[in-house]
Amino acid sequence: MTIIKILLILAVIGLAIFLLRSHGTSRGGAYLKIGMAVFLAFAAYAVIRPDDLTWVAMQLGVGRGADLLLYALVVGFGFFAISTYLRFKELELKYARLARAVAINEAEQVDLRAAAATRPHDPQSRS
Amino acid sequence: MTRSEPADGAQGNSDVWLVVPVFNETRVIRSVLATVLPTFPNIVCVDDGSTDGSADQIRGTGARLVRHPINLGQGAAIQTGVEYARKQRGARYFVTFDADGQHQVDDVRRMVTRLRTEPLDIVIGTRFRGNADDVPLVKRLVLRTAVALSPRIRRLGLTDSHNGLRAFNRTVADGMDITSNGMVHSPEIVAMIDVNRWRVAEEPVSILYTDYSKAKGQSLLNGVNIVFDSAVRRRH
Repeated sequence: MTIIKILLILAVIGLAIFLLRSHGTSRGGAYLKIGMAVFLAFAAYAVIRPDDLTWVAMQLGVGRGADLLLYALVVGFGFFAISTYLRFKELELKYARLARAVAINEAEQVDLRAAAATRPHDPQSRS
Repeated sequence: MTRSEPADGAQGNSDVWLVVPVFNETRVIRSVLATVLPTFPNIVCVDDGSTDGSADQIRGTGARLVRHPINLGQGAAIQTGVEYARKQRGARYFVTFDADGQHQVDDVRRMVTRLRTEPLDIVIGTRFRGNADDVPLVKRLVLRTAVALSPRIRRLGLTDSHNGLRAFNRTVADGMDITSNGMVHSPEIVAMIDVNRWRVAEEPVSILYTDYSKAKGQSLLNGVNIVFDSAVRRRH
């Protein structure tokens, strides 16, 4: 197997573990921002000096620099997609719990009012 | 009848609370409740953001009503109902029961009796012990496949993992924490049974597949969502 394939597989596994453990935390978020910045710098560099990129690509077993950029983009997109999905699920849970609290509170108010309406005379009010 | 105290039900079922998730069942919910209330007087209906006036049908029947301000999904509705019911004085047994008339009161009665008399924490209905002929064929195949694909389900000895009729005791109710909103709650409950080592048994039940309930049954396409959600669900 060429180096690029090994690297890609390792990157996928490594990032998967990392993401699942620290997503949603501020530390995970910081890592992701750093990752984005590195990726953008890498992309800008690839535009400015494409031949350097091609050299790197060939070391890894990839034909062209543009292909290397493409692989990196696909992997990056994959993680962004999963990370976003997981964060949405978490948001969903939060608002579900919020809606539940509102619903139960409202129902308990109704129950209290119904109980008060049917309660016989308060024994404490009798002298 | 004061609402602040659990009503004395027929056959001493005042310690049983039925949890009925309701979404747009205005045509049938009243009659369904009328069939169940005489036997099980403590019912909490969770109106999951219905748009057809289901809530109005529930008011005045004697069942309690909890309304989600927005539609969240059946799993969330069940969780809400269980959280409400477990706060009620004297509540010892809980049953998830469908709002569309698919479930039978007699099945519930038997399942609750088993909870009272046998060392069990949760009893789940199954369509696959005894006569399974009235289950639509495609649905039967899909459900059998779901069971076959899950080692956990097989280990627990369950034959119908997506059955909505479940009866359970306080231990289970207090530990109930459904975090998925939609229809993925069935595998979630199975996982909870496994992790918490709740004592589970199955009871053959009959599901009444009326035209009404068939028309709105869980579409097979939604099965894709269920499998995917199960796969990526976080394990805390």
